[in-house]
Amino acid sequence: MDFLTHPLSTMIFLPGVVGLLLLLVPSRAVSLHRWASLLASLATLALAAVVLHRFNPNLDGFQLTETASWLPSLGISYRVEVDGISILLVLLTALLQPVVFLSSWGSIQDKVKGYVVAMLLLETGVLGAFLATDLFLFYVFWELMLIPMYFIIGVWGGERRIYAAVKFVLFTLAGSLLMLVAILYMAFQYKAQFGVLSFAYSDWLALRLPMAEGFWHSPQMLAFAAFALAFAIKVPVWPLHTWLPDAHTEAPTGGSIILAGVLLKLGTYGLLRFNRALFPEAWAKAQGLFITLAVIAIVYGALVSWAQKDMKRLVAFSSVSHMGFIILGMFAGGVTATQGALLQMINHGLSTGALFLLVGVIYDRRHTRMIEDYGGLAAVMPVYTGTFLLATLASIGLPGLNGFVGEFLILLGTYQTRPLAAALGATGVILGAVYMLSLVQRVFWNALTHEENRSLAEITWRELASFAPLAVLMVWIGVYPTTFLSLSEKAVQKLIGG
Amino acid sequence: MISLWLETIVPEIALVLLGGVLVLLDAFAPRLRPAFAWITSAGVLMALVIRWSTAAPGPVWEGVLAVDDLGRFLDTYVLVACTLALLMADPYLSRTKARYGEYYGLLLWAAVGAMTMAKANHLLVVFVGLELLSIALYVLNAFHRESILSLEAGWKYLVVGAFSSAVFLFGAALLYGATGTLSLPHLASSPSANGTVAALAAALLASALAFKLALFPFHAWAPDVYQGSPTPVTAFLSVVPKGAALVVLARVVAYLNPQQLTPRWTAALAALAVGSMVLGNLAAIAQRDLKRMLAYSGIAHMGYALVGLVAFGADGVTGVLVYIAAYTFMNIAAFGAVSAFSESEEEPHLINDLAGQGWERPVVSFALSLSMFALAGIPPTVGFVGKFLVFRAAVNAEMVWLAVVGVLASLVSVFYYVRVVYYLYMKPLPKRKPAFSEPWAVKALSVVCVLAMLLLGVFPQALVRLSQQAAEFLGR
Repeated sequence: MDFLTHPLSTMIFLPGVVGLLLLLVPSRAVSLHRWASLLASLATLALAAVVLHRFNPNLDGFQLTETASWLPSLGISYRVEVDGISILLVLLTALLQPVVFLSSWGSIQDKVKGYVVAMLLLETGVLGAFLATDLFLFYVFWELMLIPMYFIIGVWGGERRIYAAVKFVLFTLAGSLLMLVAILYMAFQYKAQFGVLSFAYSDWLALRLPMAEGFWHSPQMLAFAAFALAFAIKVPVWPLHTWLPDAHTEAPTGGSIILAGVLLKLGTYGLLRFNRALFPEAWAKAQGLFITLAVIAIVYGALVSWAQKDMKRLVAFSSVSHMGFIILGMFAGGVTATQGALLQMINHGLSTGALFLLVGVIYDRRHTRMIEDYGGLAAVMPVYTGTFLLATLASIGLPGLNGFVGEFLILLGTYQTRPLAAALGATGVILGAVYMLSLVQRVFWNALTHEENRSLAEITWRELASFAPLAVLMVWIGVYPTTFLSLSEKAVQKLIGG
Repeated sequence: MISLWLETIVPEIALVLLGGVLVLLDAFAPRLRPAFAWITSAGVLMALVIRWSTAAPGPVWEGVLAVDDLGRFLDTYVLVACTLALLMADPYLSRTKARYGEYYGLLLWAAVGAMTMAKANHLLVVFVGLELLSIALYVLNAFHRESILSLEAGWKYLVVGAFSSAVFLFGAALLYGATGTLSLPHLASSPSANGTVAALAAALLASALAFKLALFPFHAWAPDVYQGSPTPVTAFLSVVPKGAALVVLARVVAYLNPQQLTPRWTAALAALAVGSMVLGNLAAIAQRDLKRMLAYSGIAHMGYALVGLVAFGADGVTGVLVYIAAYTFMNIAAFGAVSAFSESEEEPHLINDLAGQGWERPVVSFALSLSMFALAGIPPTVGFVGKFLVFRAAVNAEMVWLAVVGVLASLVSVFYYVRVVYYLYMKPLPKRKPAFSEPWAVKALSVVCVLAMLLLGVFPQALVRLSQQAAEFLGR
């Protein structure tokens, strides 16, 4: 594979370029669009495997750097590189995208071309945002995700899709525009201190914005806040989460998978990559606030999930709770908790992605997401029930499956510094079991009261194939997490230590 | 000793003559009417080639005309905008049975007026250019002689235009009284250029230009004029005079801005910018007519562009130039789509009527939605590059608050831009089918604008370099 000289850039742009080419193909060729998009996402996955193969986990810094001149007169360059923090998220993204295309094979029948083009452009945006280390480039990729997602929710979504799509766009932009001003401010501060204009992340690591008494007088706090707002909305941190239930519920299955699986991770990734590394003093000051918000999110998200009547909304609110765990782990400090948070990002992507995928499976058959419309499905769809149970158990953190490892590491690490937060957070694990198991109870075990449920078709091979990779990884991470933890260990140690 | 630098204004001379020829052809050879658009476009492109094939000697004619990099940038801008407006005009005019030679002649003369303004180094030359541009536009606005709305647009633009010309002349007269010269470079070295009278004069000049730019609080004419004018004229009107007026303002600020005037200028211009961004965006939300919405959005966009002038310096002017270049493609793409979607000029151009068109008329709709995202400043479009540069200039000039106001205003704007996309793609198509298909010239225009918005958005280096060169000449 030596001919592949720029694996990162090829991986980033392959889906987008295929998407733009598909734009020129007439929309009648539905099969072509489906196959081409699936193959493009598989090729991207293969490229991600190449990147993983070339990645050296013993280095703690960035590697596989690819740069190009872009806007030299403004100090902006094209720069993508990977380190232990981004590699796992890149792999997750590349893995989930084929899953999305497989799951949409049957459920998206209308305007297939638009759907696959939007999805492919979205993948380019996500991969680019994870790998960009020039802040201008990062911002471009960050916003690039917005338009495809707006279309995915707004065109192929459920009944209240327009409301959800516009809310998603406005919330996301509200955060990121202030981040843009902060990025500009940082660039000029860098120029003031070092004499040249630069938007490069590695340069900015040397930049320390001044701290002062009082929030409004302290440039570091203000810049931290501008970045944190953008990422906190994306995560979302309670109380900025109100866009999430709408967007997740109204989006089509594939959109929900990508949204929950990958887009939310950009928020936590951004907090860790930029807020933690660039504003250490402000980070230390904000720890208490974020830990409090995280604990509230864990408990609140779980309680609200419990009360939901709509399956997708239930899973959506469970995301608020799970993302709370990740925030807790990141802000609690130590290497253990941060490693746990990183692993939990992957776990949440896998298990919530799987749950949305599986809810989509019965939605395609019955066209309802209401829990009360189901009951007793275990007798009708035994294989499906098994898959759903596996995803549920992974999500609530059964030992031996992935969720347990992440939550355990987070709580372990948090306990060392913030025992109270760890104790309160642990209630979220219990509540998680309560609402997820009660969902399983009501959908699969209760009496079969609805006649139309008797004739539901069993999960197909295609649907099983889209679930299989997620299931394998859930067990793998649960049994032997070292494979994944070792990838990020050095980078996390460097981040926490320095 | 006046040397005859005629070769430096060959493009202008050629275009003025071509305009006259077209008017005569209309009278004596009306059979040629279908070819007028092509003759005009060829002439405009020829002028563009000539402009770039001859050197830019700097100030000529005793320094009253500055044929410099900035002038050349603006000429290119005007001529490109003119070509795009022509692409849109021909199918539109033939459909509305108004394909007359006068249209093309007036368009060319207006373009020459804008080119003159952009290169003027003397306030009287600015005035000549301004009047040439405005008078041609008064007629063009009212080009649909039977339409009451079009006549209203022409009338309104005439009254406001005459008023702002008077204000401009009054300002120039005061300035002459205070300093004894109207040449911009001489003003810069005049010792009395900082007195009270000169400040008042500068305020009047700025107000007159603010009328042309439709900046708050001089904006009230814009929605009616935009709505009533024939759509291709609106497209031209919404970009060409703005670019020319911004450059004149930049030159006036650059020369009239010795240290003492700075804080007052900055405060006044910042107030105009903030007012325009806030009012334009808020009022646009309430609009149901696409052309009126674009008028208010135009007010807001001139506010953003003005942020660059408030910040000033080479950075600020670079930002302004990139901004207007970006704005041209976004706005003309949007008006091109409006001209394709409206079936007759009597009908209002309601946003509701766009429902479901996205899947019916893919090319024009794609251009319209991309232009909406570009106007909202979302990357990777050129609109983002423009906003990035003007806000960058504001941050560089230590006016972070202005950048914050700007981004918040553009957040508000996203709401109404995205609504257009919502109607295009997410609303079901009504029963009534479109009466005619997209004219190919408008499709071509859409493709050109889409490519420009995306390519300049992804690879902005060339445009930024060009603007920096143009701004270097000026921002000392």
